[in-house]
Amino acid sequence: MTERAAPIVEVSDLTVSFSGKPVLDAVTLSLWTGRITVLVGSSGSGKTTLLRAINRLNECFPHCRTEGAVRLKLEGRSGDIYKDFLPLPEVRRRVGMVFQTPAVLPFSILKNLTLPLRVTLGIWGNVLSDRVERALQEVSLWDEVKDRLQDAATTLSGGQQQRLCLARILALEPRVLLLDEPTASLDFRTTHKIEELLARLKERYAILAVSHSLSQVRRLADRVLVLREGRIAQELDPQHLQDTHAFQALLDEVF
Amino acid sequence: MQKTLDRLLTCLAWLSGGGTLLAVSLLLVFLASHGMPGIDAALFFGDTPWLDALLARKPIFGGIWPALVGTFSLVFLASVFSIPLGIASGIYLAEYASDHRHSLLDFMVDLLSGTPSIVMGLFGFTAILALRKTFLPGARTGLLLAGLCIGLLVLPYVIRTTESALEGIPDHLRLLGPSLGLTRWQNINKVLLPLAGRGILSGAILAVGRAAEDTAVILLTGVVAHAGIPGSLADKFEALPFRIYYLAAEHRSPQELEQGFATALVLLLLTGLLFLAAVLLQRSVERRWKTR
Repeated sequence: MTERAAPIVEVSDLTVSFSGKPVLDAVTLSLWTGRITVLVGSSGSGKTTLLRAINRLNECFPHCRTEGAVRLKLEGRSGDIYKDFLPLPEVRRRVGMVFQTPAVLPFSILKNLTLPLRVTLGIWGNVLSDRVERALQEVSLWDEVKDRLQDAATTLSGGQQQRLCLARILALEPRVLLLDEPTASLDFRTTHKIEELLARLKERYAILAVSHSLSQVRRLADRVLVLREGRIAQELDPQHLQDTHAFQALLDEVF
Repeated sequence: MQKTLDRLLTCLAWLSGGGTLLAVSLLLVFLASHGMPGIDAALFFGDTPWLDALLARKPIFGGIWPALVGTFSLVFLASVFSIPLGIASGIYLAEYASDHRHSLLDFMVDLLSGTPSIVMGLFGFTAILALRKTFLPGARTGLLLAGLCIGLLVLPYVIRTTESALEGIPDHLRLLGPSLGLTRWQNINKVLLPLAGRGILSGAILAVGRAAEDTAVILLTGVVAHAGIPGSLADKFEALPFRIYYLAAEHRSPQELEQGFATALVLLLLTGLLFLAAVLLQRSVERRWKTR
């Protein structure tokens, strides 16, 4: 995938403030299918707010004001998600988000997957079963849970729960994945598994992830955006990432 | 010093827990020992054969069956009024109200929960007087009025527990529904309410218990010592707490006092059964929520 291909997401001059206090200041970036863009920055630099601005989730918080544009390209059409390009629920379905803590509902494994499909898309019966199986296979979880789909999702391990969360989003057929430190609460082995999965998924989805792990950034990122006090302070490409000393110096400065 | 303080506080915590357990156990033992001997068919139906009494073929004199039916009807009416309205108000406060409306409504709910039950009874009584002078000259105190007034009395319990159960849901689960494309109402209905189910149930249980035991409200809104089983919502009625109060205050023989204790035990058992029914209902709903 080259820079010349049209981006799936184009964020321009995005400014977000809560109760008049600016959190993001004129952020501009693009996301492409086939590339994992990783956001790094110190706590409070606006990483999570930036993710939530791309699926308009900031609006769930009071006194949020957003300016600028987030253009999304879907099936040949494109438009600003802040200007009635799509109904809000559809924007959030097409721009899926995975949280830092595995956010499984205290329902069965199956219901965790079927609830959003039934409620948002009205899918039932065989079509529903097919989507569920496909999504679980996509995250390599099908073999582990196919015989216990009625068990509580909370009985799964942390890594399995996070993959279930990913499967739940993939079943909704998004174009973009926003990952907010998806491996922060997982051990090394499970983290490795999720990273392999993300490396596979990037071929089909544009991915924007937040990470606090320097080694993970080097393993995963095709591009790194350094966020400082709500602004994109620097952008690093794969060549920069290979230069250990320069990369380390920059990240030391960031963190 | 810190260690001694820790031990002291641990001791105090154990004592408080143990004290509560002891107080409740003593109360139950006392009530059971005084009330148990009085529980028989005559307590419920007096001299009337039980089948005739149950089928309302003959009136009951001296038995508590009409009071049991009256209390059950009151609890039912109060619950039908207060639980849906309380849950809806709790949802509004937790999910929809702006800061300004939230603080205004908070104040109102606090005011309502601080209203003494006798004042609520007076409110009902005055409302009937006002209705008699205006739209409904035939209006009188009765089961429906008492049920509505008790419903109003217990409404704050349901509102507060629903509100705090919803507000206690962690952010990552609160945001989950919207992040999956659920609308605000779909998120409340399909995700947040099931998550808050247990908290909401505790409010409903509190409301049921409070509705079953209140005497002051019904004193002014339609309860009488002898009314039989009410035939309509406008009829006067009997109720267990009022009968306990009446027997305790005006008993003419040790047998009547014993009947008072037995009635108190029956009220306790009725409330326990209502709690149990609420828990079983909640579990069955939760099971359905979790899997389907």
